Amino acid sequence: MLDVKRIRLMARMAQYEKNDIRNDMKISTYYKKDYVSLNTLITVLWMTVGYGILAALFAVCYMDEILENLTISKITFLGGAAVAGYVAMLIVYVIGAGIFYRGRHNRAKQRVKKYYRDLSRLGKMEVKEKKKV
Amino acid sequence: MSTLLVWREQLQIFYAKYSIFIRIGLQFALGFLVFHQINSNIGFMKAASSTACTAGLAAACAILPMIVMVMAATALVLLHFYTLSLPVAIVAALLFLLMYIFYFRFSTGKSWLVLLMACSLAMDVPFVLPIAVGLLGTPACAIPVACGTFSYYLIHLVKGSSSTFKAGDGVELVETLISFTKQSLMNQEMWIMVAAAAICILFVYSIRIRSVDHAWKIASAAGAVMAVVIAAAGNITLNLHISLTPLVVSGIIGVLAGLLLEVVFLSVDYARTEYLEFEDDEYHYYVKAVPKIGVTAPQKSVKHINERQNTGNVGNKKNWVDNSTQTPASAGTGYLDRPKSADEILLERSLSKELGLDGKGKK
Repeated sequence: MLDVKRIRLMARMAQYEKNDIRNDMKISTYYKKDYVSLNTLITVLWMTVGYGILAALFAVCYMDEILENLTISKITFLGGAAVAGYVAMLIVYVIGAGIFYRGRHNRAKQRVKKYYRDLSRLGKMEVKEKKKV
Repeated sequence: MSTLLVWREQLQIFYAKYSIFIRIGLQFALGFLVFHQINSNIGFMKAASSTACTAGLAAACAILPMIVMVMAATALVLLHFYTLSLPVAIVAALLFLLMYIFYFRFSTGKSWLVLLMACSLAMDVPFVLPIAVGLLGTPACAIPVACGTFSYYLIHLVKGSSSTFKAGDGVELVETLISFTKQSLMNQEMWIMVAAAAICILFVYSIRIRSVDHAWKIASAAGAVMAVVIAAAGNITLNLHISLTPLVVSGIIGVLAGLLLEVVFLSVDYARTEYLEFEDDEYHYYVKAVPKIGVTAPQKSVKHINERQNTGNVGNKKNWVDNSTQTPASAGTGYLDRPKSADEILLERSLSKELGLDGKGKK
């Protein structure tokens, strides 16, 4: 006879196995600190590239204004502004990426934990059923 | 109203039954719309802008994840830009790369909003999607919507000034590069529309999550008004040439779409609202409970009067059973004899697949 509880459990597990398990397993192989650090570092690298592109595009846009009356003090000011902008963006992104990847790791860990718990419950149910038979 | 609710139930059951085909169909329709819009607006490469190519791309993207469609659309746009002029393609590629770096690296799930927003702008209904997203999504959805608006205006700019950006050589290339970068980043109309859409989403979302009665209706109407006012104010202040009629019309359509979405996704009866008050050791609770309006889709039942059914031969004697005296298979279980909800149908389907009960199970 069909056991509704067991079927529901199996359906939930099958759905998880189909969708998220591969990614979650990959994430949960890392320690939280390692995962967050690695991804924050990657984010910083991408952010640097992005900032470079953004700065280059704005430099192209305002090329005439920048090159007009170009002096050492103007170059220093523009360079300082660019570095200040980069540092500000870096801080925002590092904090944001830290929160984002910490949350992602926590959620993945919880899902994997729940999956293993369901797996052991299913095992117990099967053992119980075999004993009955 | 009750008819709408019955339709909603029927639609839910229908979707649960044929969800795979419906998703593929919708994805194909979106893909066809997106690729058709790109090819009809900036079809500089003749081979890529043919109907066969459009349909082929849409068909391929229909069975793949949505992010593939976004990437295919990006590649197609860049291909057309490259045919027109190399500097235009380079700047556009850098701008698309920026979108990837600052948003899509983190979240690819809502990438389809970029395509949908660009299409809605092309169809002159810019505020319908922001209102819908504000009602159903999160504030983070404002970013893909802004990216969609940006992409649309990039294409719009190239379409409008394609002769100016045509490939030259040497100095002309540099001039084109500077001119296109400047025009694409300093497009005031684009920034006004980005601001209107983003603020509309945030505004609709912030009202929708309030516990006031008819929050969804208020949110849709206020969001539409807000978006139209921002666009109109920007238009007047910056002396732009945005036509106001499509904005107002899209605001009205947005409100209607909001009402429809409320029926489909919320449908509560505010007249029967209950206010509860209780406490535990740590808190005092004031709870507002609004009951949902629930209807069950009517089931078609055909009653056969005086009809007899052959149930097979038993010992050379025909065994006739009266239909009216037959007991339904599910009688007594109390489970299958009531209309099934979408969840139950989905669960049953996944279970029968999993257990191989549908006759063509994988095991």
